[in-house]
Amino acid sequence: MENVTDLTGKTIVVTGATAGIGQAALTALAARGATVIGVGRSEARCEAARRVLLSAYPQAQITYLVADLASQRQVRLLATAIRERLHAAGADHLDVLVNNAGTVSSWYVATEDGYEMQFAVNHLAAFLLTGELLPLLGRAEAGRVLTVSSGSHFRTRIHWQDVMFRRGYGILKAYTQSKLANVLFSAEFNRRMVGLARIRAYAVDPGLVNTQIGLKGTSGLEHWFWGRRAAGGVSPEQAAQTIIHLASAPTLEDPDAVYWNACRPCRPSRIAQRPAEAARLWALSERLCGIIMPEGQLA
Amino acid sequence: MRSTVLITGATGGLGKALAAECAARGWDLFLTDVSEQALAPLVAGLERQFGVTVLYRAANLTDPQARTELWQAIDRLGLRFHFLCNVAGIDFEGPFVERTLDDLHTILRLNIESTVETTRHALSRRDRTRPLHILNVASLAAFYPMPLKAVYASSKRFLLDWSLALNRELREADATVTALCPAGMPSTPLVISLIDAQGLPGRLTTMNTGEVAARAIEDALRGRAICIPGLINQVLRVAGGMVPPQILAALIERRWRQSQKQAAPVLAARQHSPDLAPSTR
Repeated sequence: MENVTDLTGKTIVVTGATAGIGQAALTALAARGATVIGVGRSEARCEAARRVLLSAYPQAQITYLVADLASQRQVRLLATAIRERLHAAGADHLDVLVNNAGTVSSWYVATEDGYEMQFAVNHLAAFLLTGELLPLLGRAEAGRVLTVSSGSHFRTRIHWQDVMFRRGYGILKAYTQSKLANVLFSAEFNRRMVGLARIRAYAVDPGLVNTQIGLKGTSGLEHWFWGRRAAGGVSPEQAAQTIIHLASAPTLEDPDAVYWNACRPCRPSRIAQRPAEAARLWALSERLCGIIMPEGQLA
Repeated sequence: MRSTVLITGATGGLGKALAAECAARGWDLFLTDVSEQALAPLVAGLERQFGVTVLYRAANLTDPQARTELWQAIDRLGLRFHFLCNVAGIDFEGPFVERTLDDLHTILRLNIESTVETTRHALSRRDRTRPLHILNVASLAAFYPMPLKAVYASSKRFLLDWSLALNRELREADATVTALCPAGMPSTPLVISLIDAQGLPGRLTTMNTGEVAARAIEDALRGRAICIPGLINQVLRVAGGMVPPQILAALIERRWRQSQKQAAPVLAARQHSPDLAPSTR
């Protein structure tokens, strides 16, 4: 890997870290000395991933925490567990949060909170976890919130009249909207935290990656489609490069750019750049998560 | 007095979708289901999403004592109803001789006894200033004799016939009764993998739960006696009516045995995977 930075002393949380991009990012960050916490949904997959990582890097400072991000109750419990884990490790802050966990569902499924699954996991969980961990991020020297978005956000909009797609649900409609939400969230985060130059949010476009996403919640034609789509993609290790760059580069060439692909700042879609859309989504997300995000000054 | 919608079985896939559909219309809700743990987050989510008032109480509706206590609690709140969704229902799939007496009693008590009783209670506590709409969740299974789901399908047949009769009876009283007869719905990861296991037939007869809920509420408001969401499901129902019931039973038995074989690995995998935990409805 080029320009290897030593991350000893850094604390980093990666969600969806038992497979794909999240696992690759977690491994690379741990290999560089960071104290990492991976989050996964299944105890067994977390344990397997932990073993794989430790067999490659026996010195790695690694913990896995189990949480189903479809449940807001579990997102809150996860935040508490992260605080406790960092405290036990003697860290008073969190340097980087990587909101990577994402899901795809071919059918409309409501979570235990009554929210549509993809919107809940891909967007609201990232929003809520960021809010819960904000005080810890604010205490970091240069806190960063990375949310894995997708180039598929370009040809969509937020469907305000029915954000949860109770009617007219479509797997790609719900997926692309959630990925647009990731960019809008990151942009609005930076506008709100403007008084606080030390903390920044970035949306990461990993490009087309060969992972299992789209294969776990689908069948038949959709399963085939996501499989074919993935086969043309780059490896998760390559895709994780942008995350590693944003998490570890001491200074970025354009720290105000919100959307990154292949370690370079890019322009997101036109809608993703509209402050009014972002503010509206922010207010909705606060309401749906039952939190009010602090603005400007932290810690 | 508060005019409210009562929904039983509210935390299952269809229950959640119906609750959201009603709340989206600005109606206040009273929800019940067996699990307090499942009700609390749903209630909070609905209030946040739609800004309506949602009350709830956990109750095991197979237990007559619990039903009595539920209605005492409702009366303490002084609620009046303009809409009732009887969603709570259960099935234990498999050969009749393998079912325990407890299983069989549970199906009969929840699907039939509790639904009838709940409806009677709600009727005497209706909001007299507006029409009352009752939505009974039957099933496409109500139209067919179903080997391997014999008691379940028959209980749904009961709900269908009873709803049709009651819909006529209550016409004078400005109340409507609608029997919702959906095919299987992809409401939980487990059910989704079971539908997938059925292959193409499962896929064709399946509709998104949100869509089913929207259609059901619209049809109930119109006073339709039967609501069958999905064109293919309507065709299946008509076609089923043209085949002698003995032959139909044989055809369905063959299909269920086949899909049971396909589902076996899914159900075995459930024991090892927390993703596939069964729903509590």
